[in-house]
Amino acid sequence: MGGVEDGQPPSKRLRLSCAGSSSVSSGVRTEEPVAASSLRDSMARPRQCQGEEEVIGSRGMIKKLEFVRLIAGALYALGYERSGACLEEESGIPLHSGAIKLLMQHVLDGSWDESASMLQNICLDETIMKSAKFLILEQKFFELLDNGQTMDALTTLRTEISPLNIKTSRVHELSSCILHHPHSQNGYARKDSLKPKLRSEVLDELQKLLPPTIMVPARRLEYLVEQALNLQRGTCLFHNSSDLDMSLYADHHCGRDNIPSRTLQVAVNGEVVLKHRLCGHQKSVCQVAWSPDDQQLLTCGTEETVRRWDVLSGECLQVYEKAGFFAVSCAWSPDGESVFAGFSDKSLCMWDLNGKELESWKGQKTVKISDLAVTLDGKQIISICRETAILLLDKETKVEKLIEEDQAITSFSLSNDGKFLLVNLINEEIHLWAIDGDIKLLTKYKGHKRSRFLVRSCFGGLEQSFIASGSEDSQVYIWRRSSGQLVDILPGHSGVVNCVSWNPVDPHMLATASDDRTIRIWGLNGANMRHKVVQNNGTHQSNGKL
Amino acid sequence: MGRLFLIELEGRIYSCRLCQSHLGIADDIISKAFHSRNSRAYLFDRVVNVTVGEQEDRMMMTGLHTVVDIFCVGCGLPVGWKYEFAYEEDQKYKEGKFILERNQLAGPNVNAFPFVEAFGLVGIPEPVDDA
Ligand SMILES: [Zn+2]
Repeated sequence: MGGVEDGQPPSKRLRLSCAGSSSVSSGVRTEEPVAASSLRDSMARPRQCQGEEEVIGSRGMIKKLEFVRLIAGALYALGYERSGACLEEESGIPLHSGAIKLLMQHVLDGSWDESASMLQNICLDETIMKSAKFLILEQKFFELLDNGQTMDALTTLRTEISPLNIKTSRVHELSSCILHHPHSQNGYARKDSLKPKLRSEVLDELQKLLPPTIMVPARRLEYLVEQALNLQRGTCLFHNSSDLDMSLYADHHCGRDNIPSRTLQVAVNGEVVLKHRLCGHQKSVCQVAWSPDDQQLLTCGTEETVRRWDVLSGECLQVYEKAGFFAVSCAWSPDGESVFAGFSDKSLCMWDLNGKELESWKGQKTVKISDLAVTLDGKQIISICRETAILLLDKETKVEKLIEEDQAITSFSLSNDGKFLLVNLINEEIHLWAIDGDIKLLTKYKGHKRSRFLVRSCFGGLEQSFIASGSEDSQVYIWRRSSGQLVDILPGHSGVVNCVSWNPVDPHMLATASDDRTIRIWGLNGANMRHKVVQNNGTHQSNGKL
Repeated sequence: MGRLFLIELEGRIYSCRLCQSHLGIADDIISKAFHSRNSRAYLFDRVVNVTVGEQEDRMMMTGLHTVVDIFCVGCGLPVGWKYEFAYEEDQKYKEGKFILERNQLAGPNVNAFPFVEAFGLVGIPEPVDDA
């Protein structure tokens, strides 16, 4: 950038500043009584020697001039016009130089020629200058055109816009507007990009073109504060609270109290009320899946059939089977209109609710112990197809994608947005995979114990930002999803913890099932947070598996 | 009780004599010329459905080795051991491999109905008795 260039400043304080801050601050200093700065306390002692800027903050990283300009900008953005002006007056620090103020006013007034010539008074890099001029003249062109002043628009295009010698293809587009303009009444519609913008939009565009020292970005202070909050949230280890709970008054920090860590309820066999005994399976049941509307259950018997039940009446509504083979897994489609099952011949099957087979996929599609899931859009079926691989089968395109691991896969669970898969491995690791688009391993979770049993893990918490898992050491393990950091280990059970399920509605409630024959419900530790847990009695879709 | 996680093998399968959990397949046998205190033993490249015990140094006929005993996941029967480390240079080939004791094994049996039948496999060799 060049040096200071004075145009015709309306007043002393409207001096133009191009080298930006330093020249403005030198202007400021001349207005500030020397005594005032020498009286400041040591914390805010101005480190103002010749050629240096005044800084504030404990680390001296914030330039006072920039800070005050942002505050003024924020005041104007909030609609506090008088306060903004007052701050500029009192601090002697203008939000914008006089030239910029005039320029902005000209743009809002639609004084395009004045705006363009005002640009000359602001010292700018040649390229920026041309782009800014183009922006302004283009708006002039469109407004003339819309006013029916076609000839004037043409003149602007020929004598003002074209000579800038930039954006040739855009110039062609503009001239095509003139050609088509007479027909605009009979149906020829211009694209939005070929219509005049709101003048305030032109200002926004202009601000993006000009260096930020010359024209302070709109709402910059808000942006910075948001950035700080985002950072605080991102580094909050136990973060499990709503954004509404964040405050500007204190740094955000969720304590250990914000994840379920206290046993609220222990359900031993018999404490829950037996509603129905679902009779029909000859052998043990290995999978249970709730229908999306919570009204029905799908169950898969070991080496048997799949059955659909009415939860209210306890009646078996339908049996799904494949002659000569036994079922190994079952799942609902997300719309609850069809059911899926894996079979011992390694195939997968899809039926309508009445048991009419809609489709089947033969070949190596499942193993004997496999979870089965269908993505939210109902398009992809997910199944463990080999000891170390998970198949993502697109129902319509027949495209098959694979997640390949080095170790045997024991189980998996799908995130509630259907974009991530949590994969449990035989070697005491849990892997998080992105399955939306390119398949990619994201994070690994370790620490829990597993050597003999099917031990499940799940997503949970606010925005599913935690991973929980059962463990053969009778404890429940909780990790930060993003970092893989182990954040809590919950003792309490006295046998293998086989299954964990985080309440999908209440981010502060977790249920765990154990070989000690109990189910534990975990909630927040802090008594003051407890109402959040107790109040929740809504029903929700769950996908319980034994 | 929770559900045991058991891997199903295919081929000529050796399984636990008590609970029939699959342990290894004939194709993965590196050598049958091994012995344990009680029985003949086979060296396997890969064994499944076992848990491991504590690591310890054990003097074998072929020298000092670091080993872990292995137990059937289904029933806890001790079925052999795994070589973690061999001190003798010429025994290094055993590291990471498994010993299954013959007297703890059933089989080998060809994988039963229905996985095999489903694929209409023919010409699978009859189980051989190598006891
Ligand atoms: Zn056994």
